[in-house]
Amino acid sequence: MPAFTIDGVRLVGLATAVPGTRAQVQPTSAVPAEDLAKIMASTGVRGRHVAGADICTSDLCAAAAERLLERLGWERASVDLLIFVSQTPDYVLPATACSLHGRLGLAKSCAAFDINLGCSGYVYGLCVAAGLMQSGSARRALLLVGDTISKVVSGDDRSVAFLFGDAGSATALETSGSGRMHFVTGTDGSGAGHLQIPAGMFRAPSSEVTRLAHKGEGGNMRSAEQLCMNGPEIFNFTIREVPAMISAVLQGAGWNMEQVDGFVLHQANKFMLDYLAKRMRLPPEKVVLALENYGNTSSASIPVALCESMRERLARAPAKLVLAGFGVGFSWAAVAIEVDCPHIEPIITL
Amino acid sequence: MTRKNYFLLLDELVENDLGTITGTENLTDIPKWDSLAVIGFIALLDQHFAVSVPAVKIIACRTVDDLASLVADKLTD
Repeated sequence: MPAFTIDGVRLVGLATAVPGTRAQVQPTSAVPAEDLAKIMASTGVRGRHVAGADICTSDLCAAAAERLLERLGWERASVDLLIFVSQTPDYVLPATACSLHGRLGLAKSCAAFDINLGCSGYVYGLCVAAGLMQSGSARRALLLVGDTISKVVSGDDRSVAFLFGDAGSATALETSGSGRMHFVTGTDGSGAGHLQIPAGMFRAPSSEVTRLAHKGEGGNMRSAEQLCMNGPEIFNFTIREVPAMISAVLQGAGWNMEQVDGFVLHQANKFMLDYLAKRMRLPPEKVVLALENYGNTSSASIPVALCESMRERLARAPAKLVLAGFGVGFSWAAVAIEVDCPHIEPIITL
Repeated sequence: MTRKNYFLLLDELVENDLGTITGTENLTDIPKWDSLAVIGFIALLDQHFAVSVPAVKIIACRTVDDLASLVADKLTD
């Protein structure tokens, strides 16, 4: 999988927002205390922020965007492009990007659209935004990425109940003569069924049957309108594709591992990240782990990790980063990007 | 790798005292053989044998000997 390069775009700002409600990992009828310790050790998650019924992904992204626009001093009319990446949109239609465009008071000349991706979504979003900007169609872009997966997870499904948290992010991109990003992207659609919500849309419309919880493998209770995750097959996929992807993006950038200041991988779970880091012989001090208090925030996990764990480092000096998203689809994308002291906000709590 | 050492790795994976597994055990009788252990087993296959086995084949195994058969060509007695 060869890398490709997009020139002329810089990442100049980043903000993330999480719901104020915290959910600690605690025993339930489905997961007694003696099993919980092992789950926590494997996932690395001690608590998450979860959105109530009154908070959607778009609210988290809008809060992050408002903070970022203010801090950067960007005139709203100067934003040419808004991309919303999420698998938990406000509505089937219209695109949530359009409603966010209205909420943020952007100009009519601004393009706005959604991308439906999860784990790989942040990097794909960077790729699409930067690619459009390189064409000359936009000078400034807001990339809004987030998910509220906790809303579609069964509390009686031990494979996912304590894993997912909610978050939304806003990334500011600007054209610049000095910007350069190297990308690797890929897809394996044969894995589509291993991480999905099987019903509730048009292939299998919502019904009394699809809303009913039933016992699945391992005794996990969930309905067809809740997240179903085949952890072992997803792990097989990550071992198969992620090391090659990281290797390819480093080669594309002409970097060796020692030159990289931070490897920010999709924060799927601790066991997976630790294993991937060991397998790829990544310097452990450079592999960001930011799951403990936020969980797996799906498409927002990379921006959450950057804000949580690299904010101070990125403020001090230019940095070479490898960002890698992989998962639902199966879909994957990595970018080797050099940033020059972008404005990174502390995580906002609504 | 010898079968004996393979079983020691499995002992470690399911938090047994080393030397507990002999090969004839039913996986349902091993308390810590759960979904997390299956993921750990996938890592074990990758790390020690550079082998990838579809999860459905692992889940179809009924005994420890079945798990050994997944890498039979890489084990010696």
